[in-house]
Amino acid sequence: MRLELRWCDVEELTAASATRLAGRRLEVDLDALRALLSSDARLTRIRLDLVHPDERCRIGRVFDVIAPRAKVDGGEDFPGVLGRVARAGHGRTLALSGVAVVATDQQTENVGILAVIDMAGPNAVLSAFGRTHNVVISAWPASGVDRSDYLAAVRLAALKTSVYLAQTARDAKPDRVEVFELPPSPRVPVELAHLPRVAYVFQIHSHQRPTGLDEGILYGDPVRRMLPTIVHPNEVLDGAVLRGFMGRSVTTWATQNHPMIRALYAQHGRTLWFAGVVVTVAHATEPERVRSAFLTAGLVAHTLGADGAVLTKIGGGAPHVDMAQAAAQCEALGVRTTAVVEDMSTDGSAEGMLLFDFPGVDALVNVGSSQEPITLPAMDRVVGADDLAPKLLGETRTTYGGLCGAIEQIGATRVMAEVR
Amino acid sequence: MRGAPRLRRGGPNVGGLGAISGPHVIDVVDGAVGAARAVQQALGDAGTVVATVICGDNYAAEHADRAAAELVAVVAAARPDLVIAGPAFLAGRYGVACGALCAAVQAQLKIPAVTGMHAENPGVELYRRQVYVVPTGSEATRMLDEVKRLVALGLKLARGEAIGAPAAEGYFARGVTRNVVVEAAAADRAVAMLLDKLAGRPVASEVPRPAFPRVPAPRLIKTLEGATIALVTDGGLVPRGNPDGIEALNATRYGAYSIEGKTGLDAAQYDNPHRGYDTTWVKQDPNRLVPVDVARELEQSGAIGKLHETVYSTVGVATTLAHSARMGQEIAEKLRAAGVDAVILTST
Repeated sequence: MRLELRWCDVEELTAASATRLAGRRLEVDLDALRALLSSDARLTRIRLDLVHPDERCRIGRVFDVIAPRAKVDGGEDFPGVLGRVARAGHGRTLALSGVAVVATDQQTENVGILAVIDMAGPNAVLSAFGRTHNVVISAWPASGVDRSDYLAAVRLAALKTSVYLAQTARDAKPDRVEVFELPPSPRVPVELAHLPRVAYVFQIHSHQRPTGLDEGILYGDPVRRMLPTIVHPNEVLDGAVLRGFMGRSVTTWATQNHPMIRALYAQHGRTLWFAGVVVTVAHATEPERVRSAFLTAGLVAHTLGADGAVLTKIGGGAPHVDMAQAAAQCEALGVRTTAVVEDMSTDGSAEGMLLFDFPGVDALVNVGSSQEPITLPAMDRVVGADDLAPKLLGETRTTYGGLCGAIEQIGATRVMAEVR
Repeated sequence: MRGAPRLRRGGPNVGGLGAISGPHVIDVVDGAVGAARAVQQALGDAGTVVATVICGDNYAAEHADRAAAELVAVVAAARPDLVIAGPAFLAGRYGVACGALCAAVQAQLKIPAVTGMHAENPGVELYRRQVYVVPTGSEATRMLDEVKRLVALGLKLARGEAIGAPAAEGYFARGVTRNVVVEAAAADRAVAMLLDKLAGRPVASEVPRPAFPRVPAPRLIKTLEGATIALVTDGGLVPRGNPDGIEALNATRYGAYSIEGKTGLDAAQYDNPHRGYDTTWVKQDPNRLVPVDVARELEQSGAIGKLHETVYSTVGVATTLAHSARMGQEIAEKLRAAGVDAVILTST
């Protein structure tokens, strides 16, 4: 399967009377975009803000971030959620770099579950979204719209915006074309047969909370009771997997630019053979967890024939153990593993970093502690959180987990908890 | 005499602590004596040893609290900017005394402190979490070199400079974590680590394996028909209003709730602050979390001897190991004192 990401670099983002890409300047007709998003009856007022790197601006109430992408040649955009259900991961996809769509949550009173993005100051460099031009969507729920429907509507608005922006690159000459091509896993050329076969086990959701009916995660499926399954890595890069509605330290943007899949592609054919991706979900009960762990290991060892596997998790403590159980089952079948964990300690003690100790699960990379406090300096403007502006304008405190994009559990980030 | 300097005011002023074997109590000498002379030599122009405190290590070991209080008083009078204790090398009682003093000085006087000792000195394990302990040899054969390392780290502390990783700065890992920004993204590090593991090359995991103590389950020495059974949960059951203020995550508290006269838990009387799972169904029927209804039936039918009339409950999500162990011990002691033979622990 072959996927082309046709990248256009955006260096400027402005409001204009028509939406178009003029060289490296993306001009957006905000009225037209607002009209497009207003067609969803679950939303009432919609506000759009443009914010820029180095602007002394803080985005509050951040729910998720989406990368602008649009299929060409008749492919479906975000199949199963925005577009109709169809295979993703092949053909050509338009992609804008330097710009992101930020969806905010205007409904919840429990703002502790939401995050911020700083566009300037010391925290801007910690997050990919402190360095992009951002289209910030604030949408309020129509009366009587429940939580799950509201979040589905907010996410859909962000996906529509993503496609609307990327479509401006339809006639542009891309700045670069990135090709992702991986043959069916067993077809290894004889001269590369000596390379270790490596699989990626991608936990795409945690059932610590059940998914809503409209909470499409894999091709629009809310992955309730999903058993581990194999997908082509290109499907992940091309919009088949979206983040669920609960997700600190994970963004859809990171999944669309999946760092682990890119890292494996970068080594593919050189130091390893990329054997494929197994997608899993973390479960709420022990039998489901055990079943998922051994089925995952079976797919990795017996179907993909992998010598090694790298695993990542999503969510909190239960998924962390879930992932480790899958890794332990892989090790038991002779598949060597590394796993990416968060520092789970809540008191900064090294003893509390891990919630498991399984044989063989001894090669761990960490993405830092999401609990560690971080200072947010004073800013000139707050976007996306009018109600919180008095607090968010001044110097205040949050945690690494509360700074969107500082920690991406799938490994896009460079924060690490060091034992001292 | 084995030396142990402490140091004072970062620019020019330094103090030192020495220890001697025997019943000696505490002595303060102006300037540097004994090992503190090595400290002064290592400091050069960077600071001055203002006082050396000498303490019998038997005294410090046998009257730890009193000795620590006296030492703190002496240090307070000398008003140093930094305290250097040791090096204690492999001398166990001395190492423990150095650790205790440094910890007390830091906590009570807010003066940074550093000590040094051999990896096997019991003072390392006791105090490395609170105090910077520099590794040394087992005896004072390379005193000046080792004191130089203590002083270098001590000066950084006194100047309020950032302290780097244990390997880079030369101290025993304190077992605390700190977020840092590294060169490569986590995904790239994970793939590189896997390739190392597959090739049989050494792998430096970024997370130490925990040393979870194994607690063997005791045997029930009675039959169930004669046993008193208690119900305990970390699933967050609380009476409405959460009277003990049990935290929604990272809990430090637990509650003890009477079920006397109850044949089950009435949803109207209970709530659940737990933030680690969907509590919809246990709020709908708290017996799903703490099965008082079924346990009463078993009690009535004689399948169990007696149901203990107190339910213990906390919130088990992101709870620290330290608080978990403490709460577990406290609950276990109360259950034992009440004559409980066995516990049904429901988790979520």
